[in-house]
Formats: sequence, C-alpha cells, structure tokens
Amino acid sequence: MTGYPRPRPARVGPGEATDVRMTVNGAEVTVAVTPRMHLADVLREQVGLTGTHLGCEHGVCGMCTVLVDGDAARACLLLAVQCDGAEVVTVEGLGRADDQHPLQRAFSAHHGLQCGFCTPGMLMSSYDLLANGPRGTSVTPEELPAEMSGVLCRCTGYRGILAAVADTAAAHPDGLPPPANLESRTVLARSRGPAAAEPGTEQPASGRAGATEVRVPSGAPSASVAVSSALTSDIDDVWAVVLDFRRLARCLPGAELVETLDGGLFRGRARVPLGPVTLAFEGLAQVLDSDPGQHRMRLVAQGTDVGGSATQADIRLAARPGPDGGTVLEAAADLHLTGRIAQFGRALAGDVSRRMFEQLARAVDEAARTGADPVVSVPGPARVLLGVARDAARRVAAEAVVRLRTRLRPRPRRGRRAHGPNG
Amino acid sequence: MKPAPFAYVRPAAVADAVAELADGHGKVLAGGQSLVPVLAMRLGRPATLVDITAIEELQQLRRTGDRLRVGAAVRQRGVERAADAAAVPLLGMALPFVGHRELRSRGTVCGSLAHADPAAELPAVACCLGARIELAGPAGRRTVDARGFFVGAMTTAVGAEDVVTAVEFPVAAPGDGFGFGEIARRHGDFALAGVAAAVTVREGAVDAARLAGFGISDRPVFRDVTALMTAVGDDPDALRGATADLARELVDTGGDGHGSTGYRRRLFAVLTARELGAALARARSSEVSR
Repeated sequence: MTGYPRPRPARVGPGEATDVRMTVNGAEVTVAVTPRMHLADVLREQVGLTGTHLGCEHGVCGMCTVLVDGDAARACLLLAVQCDGAEVVTVEGLGRADDQHPLQRAFSAHHGLQCGFCTPGMLMSSYDLLANGPRGTSVTPEELPAEMSGVLCRCTGYRGILAAVADTAAAHPDGLPPPANLESRTVLARSRGPAAAEPGTEQPASGRAGATEVRVPSGAPSASVAVSSALTSDIDDVWAVVLDFRRLARCLPGAELVETLDGGLFRGRARVPLGPVTLAFEGLAQVLDSDPGQHRMRLVAQGTDVGGSATQADIRLAARPGPDGGTVLEAAADLHLTGRIAQFGRALAGDVSRRMFEQLARAVDEAARTGADPVVSVPGPARVLLGVARDAARRVAAEAVVRLRTRLRPRPRRGRRAHGPNG
Repeated sequence: MKPAPFAYVRPAAVADAVAELADGHGKVLAGGQSLVPVLAMRLGRPATLVDITAIEELQQLRRTGDRLRVGAAVRQRGVERAADAAAVPLLGMALPFVGHRELRSRGTVCGSLAHADPAAELPAVACCLGARIELAGPAGRRTVDARGFFVGAMTTAVGAEDVVTAVEFPVAAPGDGFGFGEIARRHGDFALAGVAAAVTVREGAVDAARLAGFGISDRPVFRDVTALMTAVGDDPDALRGATADLARELVDTGGDGHGSTGYRRRLFAVLTARELGAALARARSSEVSR
C-alpha cells in the first residue's frame, strides 16, 4: 500500500464503525464513523465544532463549506471515511474572537450577514477564492458574483458579503494571510473504539456522549477563571483529597465519579441547573500532570450534554501553605463551550464556574478537616450557588433568561414555543 | 438527508475494484459530487461503494504525445491547475462552468463522464474532441469513443461491473480553435443549453468543424459541421441562419419550467453561432502564430 496518499482502510461493513484519522484545525483527531456519515456531521457531532452549518445536506446551499486538503469543499458531500488522512480547516480555524482573520473583520465592517447562518460557508468559500482561486486576491469585484455563487444567502444579503470579499482582496495584493487559529492539539488517550467496549459500558446511539478520548482544548477559550481560596486545613490533608478523585468529585456540587479507567482517565457526570435550563454532562477527565511534592496538578475534562452542548476545561490546581496556617488552594481553568451552552455567553459561564470552584474549595476544606466524605447538597447546585452568592446567581440567572429570550425568540413562530423561558 | 447504510471498500488496484463490483450491487465512488446527493436523497441505494481514489494508477494526469490522459481519480480542480492540461484548451474553457469551485475540488473529470447528466459540460467536451474513455471490466480493458459512450440520460457504455479508469483527450494543434458557452439560470447550475465547438483551419479556410450540444437532449449531441461552416464562409448572418436550422434539428428536449423547447432552441442557435465564430477566429490566430 506504499505510495498511496490515503492508506487504509480495506473494508467497512454497513453500520460498522471504523477509525478515521484527520487533522482538524491543526489538531490530530481520530473519530469512529460508519460509512454513511458525512464529514459535516462528524465535525459537528463528534469533534464538537458546530461552526460548520448544515442547510440542504445534498450539496446545493454551501453552508457546510470547509477546507479539505487546502481547497474548499462541501462537508455534506464528503463521506467521513473518505477523509482518512485529510487536513480539514473549519471556520473555527480561521480566526479567534479576539484575533479575527481579515476576512472576518471585513464581514463585520461591511455587515456581511443578516441571520448569520451562511456566514461560515461564505467565509470558507471566500477564503478559498482569495487564497487558492486562479487569480488569488487579484480577483476583480465584477468576478465575485459568479465566483462566490457556491454559497447561498437566503437573506439575500449578498451586497455586504461581496463588498467584504472585495475589500479583503484589495487590502492583500500580495496574498491572503493563512487561517489564524490552527493549533496543535494532542491526542492524549483513546479507547480501542466502540467495537471494543467494556462489558457493562453503555454505548450511546450517537457518537455524541460516547467520547473515548480526552483532548487538550485549543484556540481561544470561551471563558477563563481563576479562584484563590483560603482553607483552614493542613496542605497535605487538602492535597490528599485532591488526589483522591472519588472524594474530589464529591466535593463538586452535582458531580459524580462513574468509573475509573486506565491511564489516569476518569468517567463522570455532572448536573448543572441554571434557571430554566438543566445541563446534564457526561464525560471524561484525565490528569495530565501531577506533582504531589509541589502540590500541583493539571487535568483536562470534557463533557457532552444530551441537548448537544459540549464543554472542555483545562484545569490547573495548586496548593501552598497559607500565611496564617491553613492552605491557599488556587484553581485556574480555561473553559471551551460549544452548542447550547455557548449561548449563555462567556460572562455567565465564567461566573458559574467561579462559584463552582469556590464551592469545591469549601468542600475540599471540609473533607480534609474531617477526613469524611464531604456533604454537598446533590442535586442542588443551583441552591448551593444561591446560598453561596445569592446576588450573583440572581444576576446570572436573569442574564440567562434575557439571553435565552433574545436567542430563542428572534422570529416567533405561530403555534410553537407557547412557553418562553419565563413560562 | 442521510443515505441508507452501505458498505465501503477502498481497494488499491483496478482489478480489486472490478472484483468488488462483481455482484452488481456496487457503485464506484470517486469524488462523490454527483453520487453522494443521489444517496442522500435515497434515489440510489447501492449495497457497496467502491472508492477508487486510492488506486495509484488512476491518479495520473499526464501528456503523452498528442494525448492528455486524465486518470479516474483526478479531480476537476487538479486539471484546472495542471500546466499539462493547457494543451487541451477546451477543457480549460469548460471547467469553470462545472458546478462551483467547492464541487470541482472533489469532483473528477471521469466521474462527470460516468454520471452522464444530459446537461453536463464535460461529456460535451469529450464528444466534441473525440476523447477516448478507458474501461476496466471482468473481461479486461477496453476503450470506447466518447461519441458512442453516452447512450441516454445518465446511461453510458459503463456496465455494472465496469470501472472507468481514464479519459484521453487529443491535444490542440496549431490551426485549432475552440469555443465554449452555456446559459444557466445561475452560475454553477446545469445548463439550459450549451455548446462546445472546435474548428480547424488550413491557410485560413475551414478544414474541419465539430460541435457538441448539451442540455438539449437526453445526452450530449455531436455534429460535424464542417460543411455548414464552409458554406456560410465569413458571413455572420448566414451563420446565425444556419445554426437556427441546426437547433431545430438537434434540440429535442421537451423543455421544462425553466425553459421550453423553443426557448432552448433559440439559446442553442445563438450560442452555437457565437462559439463557432469565436472558435474560427481563434483557429486562424493560432495558425498565424505558428
């Protein structure tokens, strides 16, 4: 098989899953796919990159346009099994919120969108045109309507889109800058795939909750938090709780350790009620670095919610002796949110996480002091939150309602959604 | 829009691909830009997709003497970019009309021929130029002239157990000129009517003229128009009259909501006069620059 750009696989039966290795936005990803799954679904459901939209799912609308091996392609017309070894760049790889690609800045400046649904496709198609088109950024404004015809805007907001592309082309006579948010993301752990599931392990119907690997999140986090808590317990007692994942999990309101896997890998679940929304996450955590002598630990956690939300967290914990005895426990986390949960916005996500870390520190302190399992009210993190910081919780809940209303009800549909978030 | 389940195989050799198709329930997958929508809409439910893109032999694009050989795994955008492909100017004229960039980056030249949509551009190019299409089947390999390859709407000489392995186009010589045009409702759509034209001149006079129309029948329609071009000479009015007669003869599609038969005849007549005229002019300038 040497000499072929796409080695493997030999044969995959209908409904049978096979591992496909790809590079997505610079990160190596291995996904288990059945032959009929297209690339867009895999990017959205398994890799968690929901920036790639799906419209028609038969190659007409262009919403799902991504770069595959450098060229724009319709992700709905590519079977994921065809993409073994492929290099994929999605709109998430183009730029980040605080460092946008020139095309993204131009779309913003020209208001090159109305509802925004076609924007990822328009961005990736125009990137391809200006980076790989026959005339690169020398393309003329007159050529753009035909050249950009591969993606439809059902709002008919083409003028702003074409103006943005024309401006970007004119501003980069020497060539378009490459995608700005490609980072290496290492595959840390992977199970043997769904066919090799342990007896008694539930295999979810979709790949969504069935992640079998933990990845270090890349790109700009949705929110970052840092919490420093003064504890009364001795540092070694505190760290003993931190190192005992079962007890540590019990210190987090709503969280539960389900299973300890090989390789420092843990399977767990957590419930986070927020106003009208309850997020129920299932996922994996893995200790990357643990230095008990220095009382430092880094772990990554990822979870998916049945509602399609996904979160990844890169967490650093450190303890040092307090100035007046006791211990200072420091927790810092970068949070990456996609799906429904991302609608809450970074401020709310940060606030909620901060409260959870404060609660965690308090419970760790109690567990370290008493040697017993901590008693946290489960399932009642919302109540815990309210008890800890009633005003803050009330504010974030109110924010959540406002955001939900604006997100969910831009165009009320007759006869549907009779009940808004306020009931 | 999810396809019904199917098995997927990616063989490493043509013979293996042919063997995979032996039960008659398989379908060849190259770029998938025509096939996957058919699967998504469940208009087709093959038991097995045989992905031929890993077969090294089929990835070749090269010029050998007076032929340009395009392997079955070569993508349309790869042809657009290949320096060798400039030897077949008609391909370069037609490819920008094939779907969109996003489709050409995966779609293959041979796949377009094998799919044989009556309104597709590349089948007409192949017919106009007299390309040769190579097939591999259980009985071995054979070559079919493009002008006999298309037998109806989405129906070709390719049998259920055959794999298209390559197409060979003749390269242009001095004195050859080409024209290509189509009218579609939007750029990238299938054509309402279109034409590919090739004219060869010798000392300024028409030596040969051929065309293939598409979107006007259930398959690309080839016609040798050497006599027509010789008869009309350099009179543009006579050329338009002649192509109007030709359109009445060649356009036999029943028409649809996007354009009646009469409208398509008019489109074809105008396009054909325009592109034959352009091809003649290009042929003369290519002969002069020799």
